[in-house]
Amino acid sequence: MSLQLRNVALRLGEQTVLRDVSLELAPGEVVGLLGRNGAGKTSLLRLASGTWLPDAGDVLFEGRALSDFPRSLLAQKIAVVPQDLHVPFPFRVGEVVLMGRGPYQRWLGFESSHDIECAQRALERMGILHLADRRIPELSGGERQLVLIARALAQEPDCLLLDEPTAFLDLEHRIRVLEVVRELVASGASALLVSHDLSLAARCCERLLLLADGRVAAEGAPGEVLRADTLRRVLGFSATVIEGPDGLPLVVPELGRKDSVERGA
Amino acid sequence: MKHLTAGRLGAVLLASLGVLVVCLAIGLVTGPSGISPGAALDALLHPAESGALADIVWRIRVPRLLLAAGVGASLAVAGVIFQALLRNPLADPFILGVSGGAALGGISVLVLGTWIGVGAGAAPLAAFAGAIGTTLLLYGMAAVRGRVSATQLLLTGVVFNAFASAGIVFLASIAGLADGSRIFLWLIGNLSAARTDMGIVVGVFLVVGLGVALSLARGLNLLALGDEAAAQLGMAVERQKKILLLATSLMVGAAVSVSGLVGFVGLIVPHLLRLVLGPDHRLLVPASALLGAAFLVLCDTVARSLLGGRELPVGAITALVGGPLFLVLLRRNSDRSFTA
Amino acid sequence: MVSLAPSLTAILVTLGAGDLLVGIDEVSARQQPALAQRVRVVGGLFNPSLEGVVALEPDLVVFVPSAEQRNFQQRLSAVGIATEAFSNLRFEDVLENIERLGRLAGREPAARERIDAIRAVRAQLEASNRAVETPRVVMVLQRDPLFVVGGGSFIDDMIAIAGARNLAAELGDAYPRASIEWLVAAAPEVLIDMDASHEPAPAYWGRWPALGARGRIVHLDPSLVTLPGPHLDRAMQRLTAALHPMAPFERGAPPAGAR
Repeated sequence: MSLQLRNVALRLGEQTVLRDVSLELAPGEVVGLLGRNGAGKTSLLRLASGTWLPDAGDVLFEGRALSDFPRSLLAQKIAVVPQDLHVPFPFRVGEVVLMGRGPYQRWLGFESSHDIECAQRALERMGILHLADRRIPELSGGERQLVLIARALAQEPDCLLLDEPTAFLDLEHRIRVLEVVRELVASGASALLVSHDLSLAARCCERLLLLADGRVAAEGAPGEVLRADTLRRVLGFSATVIEGPDGLPLVVPELGRKDSVERGA
Repeated sequence: MKHLTAGRLGAVLLASLGVLVVCLAIGLVTGPSGISPGAALDALLHPAESGALADIVWRIRVPRLLLAAGVGASLAVAGVIFQALLRNPLADPFILGVSGGAALGGISVLVLGTWIGVGAGAAPLAAFAGAIGTTLLLYGMAAVRGRVSATQLLLTGVVFNAFASAGIVFLASIAGLADGSRIFLWLIGNLSAARTDMGIVVGVFLVVGLGVALSLARGLNLLALGDEAAAQLGMAVERQKKILLLATSLMVGAAVSVSGLVGFVGLIVPHLLRLVLGPDHRLLVPASALLGAAFLVLCDTVARSLLGGRELPVGAITALVGGPLFLVLLRRNSDRSFTA
Repeated sequence: MVSLAPSLTAILVTLGAGDLLVGIDEVSARQQPALAQRVRVVGGLFNPSLEGVVALEPDLVVFVPSAEQRNFQQRLSAVGIATEAFSNLRFEDVLENIERLGRLAGREPAARERIDAIRAVRAQLEASNRAVETPRVVMVLQRDPLFVVGGGSFIDDMIAIAGARNLAAELGDAYPRASIEWLVAAAPEVLIDMDASHEPAPAYWGRWPALGARGRIVHLDPSLVTLPGPHLDRAMQRLTAALHPMAPFERGAPPAGAR
């Protein structure tokens, strides 16, 4: 087991955001985390990365509690890809990706040639090496997301936590991101992927976890979780789920109600 | 892929040091008493001599140049740190209320000192105590669950500064004539009372602040990504923020207690250097120290030499130069899409 | 009458017109404690109280027009109170003030007597000072920040009368803030220190040994010499004694003011 969350609960102020959630990530697998906006997905990621401490339950990595790890060591193991990147100063893409090597560096000093190589390779994998010297504030939302993923790759993590990493990306780049995640996982890492793109998540993840009201509403293989009745009950929309040419589910949402369509015709 | 190398750091710092040395040299040979550069240099090389020339060079110009350099470096480095902590390129070292507390402390002693049997000489100490006290107070008020949010800190600082201003206005209105001029000079920034012991105090805290900033320079870079991302990249965010805040406040407190509120150095120097040298703090911090020192040395040289025998406060010159420069920078900042 | 300037208060009291006063400013009160017992204190030099003055229903308010007090004058006029402005920048201005106040207070003979006495001492000093050297002098009003007596003030006039050359006249303002470097370079033969600090003059000025080495440092109580008031004759004598300690001293003048 690489990352384990056992019966974690989280309260923010008066509100209980997560109650009794358990999750296990094994090396070599990608787990998809689904749910409505506000279901607690980002909070769960924060618990998984050790950024926040749970109010109940524990979070373990390789059997040890996260709080037992020195911070920089933890950052060598677990990398987070947040939703967006905003910097108040004109850092370059290359500099930001190099910050991903921070956990391996000593306090004082400069990046080693190995660090530089790692960063360049990460940029290449995301297809943005040509953006290395551009300044972050000049980039589009999609380009910034690719930078965030490159930074996480430069961390050489054992576990990758991604928070809606494809929200601003075109389909070509979405596919590339998911391919990169699968490559990483194939070499022994694990990944937790928060996504709203159900059909792509079905193709990328071994398992899916559906979060609702702070609890795990459904868990299992994509085919088990992505069912029309589950989607209507938990995610609140009507859809038809069919089997795609690759054997994995395809979610086809229904737009509007039949009678309202006829009225308009 | 461009990044910071030892070579680039060395080259920039060497050039900056060169600029500082040139400015110090200009300051050494310039002044209202019209002594020639040769005579000044000669006096510098023969410190044991006595006479008006020796007094002017060794007891007036040298302590003043060193103090200007120390204060300029302190304010510039503090500006860099506060801009990083608050994630805002327009922050200055006085924004968090440290200056308000220092001013209140110093001016209280100036005005009320006679009533409690304390002379004006205690003002710098009171100013320093005011600076430290304010920092602790602000930190206590802005920290929520052990976490210091930049917004909370900023708002608390701004409100405290307003309160301190009100206090200063009150003190100024009950002050006598003699204190009125002292208060004015303190509020605008003035180095005319430069003494060697002041330079030493400023120097000590500059070394502390600079040492902390240099060793945590990578952390300053990471803070730009946001507290959460910085923590996820292995930085002990809250601990480093506390250390930076404390060290910077000590440095600003020391500088302000001897020179008053010299404006614009802590804002313009870091901001300009960031535009020219890039935002990597491993380069920005030491360069700001050297060039902040050079800038204030030049401004002070102008302040004490422009009007013949009469003295201008250095803060008037930094404002005259810094004000328009700041407007130009602001314009340039909004033309490009740099602000996030 | 209400007086808002200590020099004018001093003149009125000396002319025996103190009983005409119903209100004075803070600084006047400090300088004339006996008077302060009797009359109302209506505020400071820069922030006099309009209400306080109006409540006294004065026939006349006399003052010296600084920027703040000019504004005050307008407000008084708006309420219908008569005001008289007095300038006390130059020596002759002060004499003129004595005369005018004498007329306004109905004490012309006393005023005439004072003015004649002052003129007499002036003539006497100018005559006797012609025979001695003219020392180069700087008069320090405040040590830090350094304020000195510049050109175009009544003190400057008295320095000339006392037979000395005011080196700070070149700074071009009546009471300029000077740089310490200028002072050391100017190397005055006499430095008159009028700062009210407790630190003794030799200790303070000892930081720049060249000053003490090249000239005398004399500490002088500022109260007489810096008041543009009714005793300019004594002020001139005190100043002269400080500047020429070896000269025979005149009747009524104290011995050399050096400490």
